[in-house]
This record gives sequence, structure tokens and C-alpha cells, in this order.
Amino acid sequence: MIQRMWQAPVIAALAILAGGSEADGQARAVVIRNATLVPVTAPRIERGTIILRNGRIEALGMNVAVPSDATIVDGTGLFVYPGLIDAGTNLGLTEIGSVPGGEDTREIGDFNPQNVVLTAVNPHSELIPVTRVDGVTTAITSAEGGLVSGAAALIDLVGWTPAEMAVVPRAAMVVNFPSAGPQGFGGFGGGGQQRSAADRREAMNRQVRQLYQFFEDARAYADVHARTTGLKADHKFEALIPFVRGELPVIVDAASADQIRGAIAFADSLKLKIIIRGARDGWQVADTLAARKIPVIVGPLTQAPGNDEPYDLVYANPGVLAGAGVQLAFQSSDASNSRTLPYHAALATAYGLNPDEALRAVTINPARMFGVADKYGSLEVGKVANVFVATGDPLDVRTHVRHVYIRGESIPFTDRHTMLYEKFRARPKKP
Amino acid sequence: MRVFLQTTLAAFASISVAAQAPTPPAQPANTGPLGLPIPPAGTLVAITNATILTASHGTIERGTILIRDGKIAAVGADVQIPPGAKIIDGNGKYVTPGIIDAHSHSAAEAINEGTESITAQVRIEDVLRQDGTSLYRQLAGGTTTLNILHGSANTIGGQNAVVKLRYGLPVDSMLFAGAPPGIKFALGENVRQTTRPSPTRYPRTRMGVEDVLRDAFTRAREYQAEWKKYDVAKAAFDKAKQRGAVAPIPPNRDLQLDALVEVLEGKRLVHCHSYRADEILMMLRVAKDFGFRVATFQHVLEGYKVADELAAAGSGGSTFADNWAYKLEAWDAIPHNAALMAERGVVVSINSDSDERARRLYQEAAKAMKYGGASEETALRMITLNAAMQLGIDKRVGSIDVGKDADLAIFNGHPFAPASRVEMTLIDGRVFFDRATAPTLEWLIQRMKGRPRVTSEDAQ
Repeated sequence: MIQRMWQAPVIAALAILAGGSEADGQARAVVIRNATLVPVTAPRIERGTIILRNGRIEALGMNVAVPSDATIVDGTGLFVYPGLIDAGTNLGLTEIGSVPGGEDTREIGDFNPQNVVLTAVNPHSELIPVTRVDGVTTAITSAEGGLVSGAAALIDLVGWTPAEMAVVPRAAMVVNFPSAGPQGFGGFGGGGQQRSAADRREAMNRQVRQLYQFFEDARAYADVHARTTGLKADHKFEALIPFVRGELPVIVDAASADQIRGAIAFADSLKLKIIIRGARDGWQVADTLAARKIPVIVGPLTQAPGNDEPYDLVYANPGVLAGAGVQLAFQSSDASNSRTLPYHAALATAYGLNPDEALRAVTINPARMFGVADKYGSLEVGKVANVFVATGDPLDVRTHVRHVYIRGESIPFTDRHTMLYEKFRARPKKP
Repeated sequence: MRVFLQTTLAAFASISVAAQAPTPPAQPANTGPLGLPIPPAGTLVAITNATILTASHGTIERGTILIRDGKIAAVGADVQIPPGAKIIDGNGKYVTPGIIDAHSHSAAEAINEGTESITAQVRIEDVLRQDGTSLYRQLAGGTTTLNILHGSANTIGGQNAVVKLRYGLPVDSMLFAGAPPGIKFALGENVRQTTRPSPTRYPRTRMGVEDVLRDAFTRAREYQAEWKKYDVAKAAFDKAKQRGAVAPIPPNRDLQLDALVEVLEGKRLVHCHSYRADEILMMLRVAKDFGFRVATFQHVLEGYKVADELAAAGSGGSTFADNWAYKLEAWDAIPHNAALMAERGVVVSINSDSDERARRLYQEAAKAMKYGGASEETALRMITLNAAMQLGIDKRVGSIDVGKDADLAIFNGHPFAPASRVEMTLIDGRVFFDRATAPTLEWLIQRMKGRPRVTSEDAQ
């Protein structure tokens, strides 16, 4: 069972794409009229109409016939965008940060490729409704820790079960590239040990060797497996087969220039299809990344630069990468604040990233990175109807999102926050 | 490549070295850390033709701000510019009051004397330092004033320091002269040490926190009474000047209770870290019973639940824009908190509590518009005038009005717009941050390619 799971990274979502369908099997269409459509992959359409039906975008344009059975949404003065994609979060794996009982983000051990994040995604997390009403409809949710953290899932933020949420159940393997950076944390109540630079470097080298060895063993396993039958199954290596064959991407979390260069060498040696994530020092390696066509997921941008670095380094980094021609996406690297994804991109636009590129970096680019650009990331006929309607630019904090559709399903604007807000806003004033 | 890069980066490293060294490194007379020039004082400056967001009386299009001796001398659309004024061309730019961060831990060597639950005697002022480039980066986000508080390890953590980010000047000259003194209180999980595997310190519960507070203020009252009694006796003794009379003996000086007596007498502002509504109400009761006002509740994530009580007590709320769910007591935090508290009459500010977030408070303030529908000026006040009111410095800073300190941030666009950034930050009319001459990433990349810097001044 395990061994063939990877062969079906087919869009699980298709199974429930008929969401919202009526008894006769023909779903009622949603028509957003007279809005500015921002397809992302094509020029914007003023006073346009877009039709969503059966979970898909059925039509869009300036002159589109409106079906008689449709629910009409007046888009006058509003803008329609494809749903935003957070390329790095642990939504569904965590609820309240400080409560260990709700944490499924981090497994014991260094090598856990067999772990399937989707298994632990809680579709009913209170964090999900809060996220999607701000336009984030889709996310790469991943575990962290160790050297190989497990298979990240691409999920839509809708569905009754994890399987229903899945767009690609195992979208990418997550690898933390070893670092010689300071280990241990000596903050308030902490007291973690500090190690010497030499010790740290030695530990890093050992981890890098282990990482290579593990992937080489997995490759050998895959090769033998392809030629032989009756081989005793190793579920860790089994899980890595599509990744060592370069069929599915490996997300390599790498912040420093050394880690990024190390990750590229690792990918070269093992012929992996990698995506660099984090890439805080990406600007130093931008030309190489561009030349090698290695996509980069940046973020979070809410980090301070090092003491000896330019003040705007973190903000300006994405612009330098994109300017060099690197395919760029953003991650929030957060669960409760995954909704702030567009504001990471906004900070980058203040320091050199082209605003159109910033929008692509939260829509079509991540869709391309995870192999779903034929169904996600832009407003195009036939694509999955992940769409939101807003009062303006989603990168602008002042913009309000008015409607969200995921797989064509209208998303309610009630969540933990709005319920508490409404409840206490209605608290009677004392006489 | 690596060596070259390290050499280049070393140019930025001077400050961290300088902060440690016993004697200041040899530097040209008029430069501060990062090799940046220390701006001269007292210059006549005019910012012309800018969109001015005053935070007190609306927006002035194509306006001018005239600065004389560090103060705002004139502001408006028709301001005469005296000869000799240094002109800052504000065409296409937006000017806001310098941003005031009502909750910071920057520039302090240590912030938690975490041994006892009441440590009212310790002072941030004693551990103030120019901590590396962090202060500079906050300036680069338009922030000009910080309320530096102790951490939240203790029920009463210690005495604050309000500073202006006069980066590059000696540490003592950062202190905001005339700002009322304050003190940090804390409630909830941090004080109770819930994240520690085996906490041993009292209090362990919210009940204990109340007890610790009442006990401290009871002792402070008694101490205050002893001193009053002594003062009366001493005055009588001085007046009588009787030969052979024995002078009264003063009570033992207690630095912890001195600070709490100042609270009782309304001379020291209480800034109280808090999350849950119940503990906020507890603090309000204790303050009422002992006859003082809590100036601000900090974080105050459930402030929206008890906004009427906060407003009635005259307590401000200083909160995050949208942090939540990071611990149990932040589970009912909602991003609408700021706007809803403001709607019910609370003076609200948005703070950073973070060196990183302090660089982009203008974006955080805009979230009050998104969540809860605050107006643009209300949102702007949350990082300027309201914060100044909470700290008792609103006669000096917080808005662009004649007579106030010329603490200003100049943006390349509307501060709430996505692609906006700070171009220049002034304190007392002195330019402490100027992106045109700042060490930016772009500049570093050009240097690595061996290209000289072209500034906007060169281009003119």
C-alpha cells in the first residue's frame, strides 16, 4: 500500500470538485459581474465577468453570457484575483503554539521521509477559516525538524477530511540543509548550550555526509527495486523513490549562502529537483539560482538582518532574486498568521520587487513549482475556482476581502475572530 | 569570493565591536556607528511640497513644515521659507509624525530580573546601551521614540526608560528628557511561569498574582505613611529648633517601595502586560483600591472584552496588530481588538514588542483599518499621538503641530500603501536616517561589483 501511494499524486481534490452541486448533478453557477478581473497570467480585464461552476472557472471575459440559473455577485468597484498560495506553513499541524498536545509539527529523529504531513492535518483547525477569508486559499503545509522532515502536502483550505483538502497529498519532500550556525538557545528560561565554531562545523559536516548517504541509499534502493521483485520493503527509502528519481520536488530549507550552495551541490550530486526555501542570503547566489532554474521560496520577511548586514537586506532580497530571473514564491512560515502572506510580498515591493512579480509569487509561481499550474494560480477557463473578490490590491493591508470561493464553494466569513468580534461588539454598554 | 564578501561586510560591523570595546575606536570626529555622519543640531530646515499626515488635524496636501531649533515652527500649505533654510524636497513624499513604539525591549542590556516577583527597584536606565544596528534599523522604519520596558517575568518588573533614537550620540542623550517615569507590571502566564517544567516561585496562579500586588502596595502604603510621619516630625523639629531636642530618625530607605509610592502618588505610570479579560479587571480593581491609575495595559489581547471598563478607568490599551494563538492566553486574541477598543473610547496604540516589528509599525497600524474598520487617521494615531498620550509626552511629540519636537518620518508613498518605505527620519529636526546615504543592500552589491555610489544629491 505504502509503496504505491506516491504514484497517485493526482489531484485528490477532483473527487469533491462537484462541491455545492445540486440534486440534479448540475451545479448552480456563481457569476461575479462588472468587476476588474486580475488573471495574473494575462492582462487585467476591466468590467469583466467570471463564471464559476462545478468547482471550475467556466468562463471569464468582458462579454460573457450570464447563465439564467446563476447566483449573481455584483463586482462593481471590486477586483477578482486567483486564490493566494502560501508556499510554506504548518497550517493544520498546530493550534495553540504553547500547548504541546496540539503540536504535530516536529517528529523525533533525523530521517522521516515516510511521514506524510497530510495525515496530521486537522481540517477543523480554527486557524483555517481565519486564513482563507483573507484570500489565502491554498497552502504547502509541512513539518519541520530533523534533516528530512517528511512529505509536505499541497492543500486547499476547504474540505471535511484531510483527503478532501489535498490537492497533492505528497507534493514535496522537506529537507533541512545542515548549518554551522549557532546552535542552542539561551533566552529567557532557556540556557541551551553554546558550541564552538569548530564543533558546529564538524557537526554540520557529519550531518551533510549523513544526508548524502541517506539519499544515495534510497537511490540504490529505488534502482534495485525497479529491477527486482520480492525485495524486502524499507518504508523510509520507499517514500523517497519519486524524489530521488527527480519526479517530485524536494524543498530544501536553506537560509545562508553556504547552505544554499551546499543544497545545490547536493541536488547536483543526487540529481534531485529542488526548491530552495527561506533563502535569506539568496541575493548572494541569485545568478547561480537563476542560471540553474532553481525556484526559490522566500520568507518570512518579518526577520531582522544580522548585525553586520544592510538594514534592508531581508526586504530587498526577493527583488534581487527576481531581478536575476529566479522564479520566486513566498511563504509565511507560520500557521496562525499564514493570512499575512501578501504582506511579506508587499514588504518586498517597497524594496525593489516588481508588484506584478510579487503577485505572481503568491499565485502562479508556487502553482508551477508544485506542478499544478494547469489547475491553480491564475484566472483561466478550466482552472479550479479558487477565487477571491477584494476592494483592491491584496498586497495593500487596507484592502478588504469581500468574497472567497474555494473549488467554487462560497466560503463563509464567520471564523473564531469574527465571532468574538461580533459577540463583544454587541456587549451592552453599562448605563 | 567569501573572503571578499567578508571584507565588504566588515564595513558594517563597526558598531558591534564598538559597543564592546573599553575605549571608542578611532573614528572621524563627526561620525557615529556605521560610519554615518552625526547630524548637526539647530539647523533651520524646511520640508516642502509634501503630503503631511498630521495625526492631529488631518492631511495637508502640498504642504511645508518649517523646523527651527529642532521644533516645528510652522506647518501648512502657505508657509514662508526663510532664507538659509536647508530644503528637503517633499514632492511626492508623505510626512508623518515620528513613530512612537509604546512597548520595546531594545537598547537594554537585560530586561528580566527574574528572581523575585516584585523587582520595582531595577531600572532600564542603568542598563541602557546602543545595541548594535538594531536601533538604526528601527529608525529606518520611521520609529523615533521607544518606551523601553522590562520583560514580563515578574509581577512588577522594574522602571522603564523612554528614549529617542538619537542614534550615534552617547547613550545618556537618548533619554527623553521630561518624559514621566514609568514601571512595568505583568500578569498571566509569564509571571506564573507556566512554561517552566517545575516552577518554584510564588505566584503560580492568577490568584497569587493579585495577592502579590496587594501585598506590595500594602507595604508601599505603610512605607509611605512612615515617611509622612517622619516628614511631619522633621518639619516640627526644624521649626521648633529647640536646644537639646532629638531629631527624628528617618525610616530606612527602600528603593523598591520608593518606586511603588511614586505609583501611589500618580508620579509613575504603570504599564501592565496583560492578556485575559479577567486579569485586566483584577488589575483595575487593585489599582482602584489603592487609588492609582493604570496608564496602559500592554498587549491587552482581550481588551476588547472589557473595553468599557478600560475606558472608564482612563487606561490606555497598547496592543499587537494581529498576533494570536501562540499560547493559551492568546487564544481569544482577535485582530479587531485595536479598532474595537478605540470604538468604545479607549486610547489605543499599536506596539512592536520586537526589534524586528518596530521597523514596520506603519504597516501594522493599517491593520486597524482592515480589521474593525478604523479610519486612516485613527490608525495613524495608534502609532503616533495615542502612544504619546499613553506615555504622557503628547505635548512634545506624536503629531505635526507647531511647537512640538520635529520628530518626523518621510515616506516615498502613503505609509499604509504596500510599496511604501521610509526615505528619511528626523528627530529634533536632525536627519538620523537618510536612505540616500544609508548602507543598503543595493549599495553593498554595487560595492562588491566595484562601483562607486551615486546618491540623489550627486544626481542633482
